[in-house]
Amino acid sequence: MTAALKAQAEPMENPSATAVRITKDTPVGFELIGVKKKAAIQLMGSRLWGRFNPNHWDPVYAAETGLKAPIQTGEMSSAYIAEMCVNYFGADFFVGSRMQCKYVASTFANEIIATHGVVREKTPKGEGFRFRVEFWADNEAGEVKTVGFLEVDVGVKGEPA
Amino acid sequence: MRPEPRTDDLRPMTPLQVAQERAFVEGLQEECQTYWDMVEVGDVLSRELYLAPELIILYADAVEDYNPWYEGWRMNKWRIEGESPFGPAIVPPLLVSHFVLSVQFDHTKPFAIGSIHTFHDTEIVAPIPVGATIRITTKATDKYVKRERRYVRHEVTVEDVETGKLYMTEIRDILSL
Repeated sequence: MTAALKAQAEPMENPSATAVRITKDTPVGFELIGVKKKAAIQLMGSRLWGRFNPNHWDPVYAAETGLKAPIQTGEMSSAYIAEMCVNYFGADFFVGSRMQCKYVASTFANEIIATHGVVREKTPKGEGFRFRVEFWADNEAGEVKTVGFLEVDVGVKGEPA
Repeated sequence: MRPEPRTDDLRPMTPLQVAQERAFVEGLQEECQTYWDMVEVGDVLSRELYLAPELIILYADAVEDYNPWYEGWRMNKWRIEGESPFGPAIVPPLLVSHFVLSVQFDHTKPFAIGSIHTFHDTEIVAPIPVGATIRITTKATDKYVKRERRYVRHEVTVEDVETGKLYMTEIRDILSL
């Protein structure tokens, strides 16, 4: 079986994510490499996301409510940021973490959104640390759309990190 | 001067598709209250949601998140147990946060379009297995005005219907017209 097929059959880890996992030794100031996505109108207006509100996909309705273009639901930005954080914290993100997001500006259709993160604090806890990451999402012009922070325990129960 | 926006500005459409979309939008604009008027502080609403594998795929695909931990459904095999560091497949960390909207906006009333989600503070207590049935409960805790804008705040809990296990708590704000 080729390596590619084996990876498909045993999808336990995302290999690219494992390579960048934050450990107890990761220093304050460490910068996360984020993800980049296009606010595609077809995805913004999909049934599970924004179809219930035409502000999320219809240029005509959006203009009637004063918007220059349809806007993405804020939760899509939260999902982008969460993807970045899962890449770096893995399973730790899913137990006892805290994520705070503020949507400070609208994301418009066709914008390219990139996520960013920086480790700002490491507080000793158990045998590890509680990490605090400041994150944000912006467009190609550097206009910030979403800001917030994430707190995650790493190695606090003595498990290898 | 900006040109008049058109239904097909952002995606190619035939005249038939444009007409179908305009009819759909008109159908959404039923009489409704603003969210501010719809909610009273102290209101509690609760709904159960079965986290079907297909629902998870719909969510993840639309944000282009292809982490295999979330796959309880795969083409050719269809429903599978999946694999994650916790055993079977789990749901993406903020998936349930997205569905809170369908609880805090009373689904028995016309939807208050024009409202905007502005903030969430989410505690992820434990991973949620794909296939779980959860109960989302929202309580309106505050209505406040900031910089001449009206906000409604809710506190949210998410539990497993079968075991009562707490999966998530959240505080979230909605900006109302």
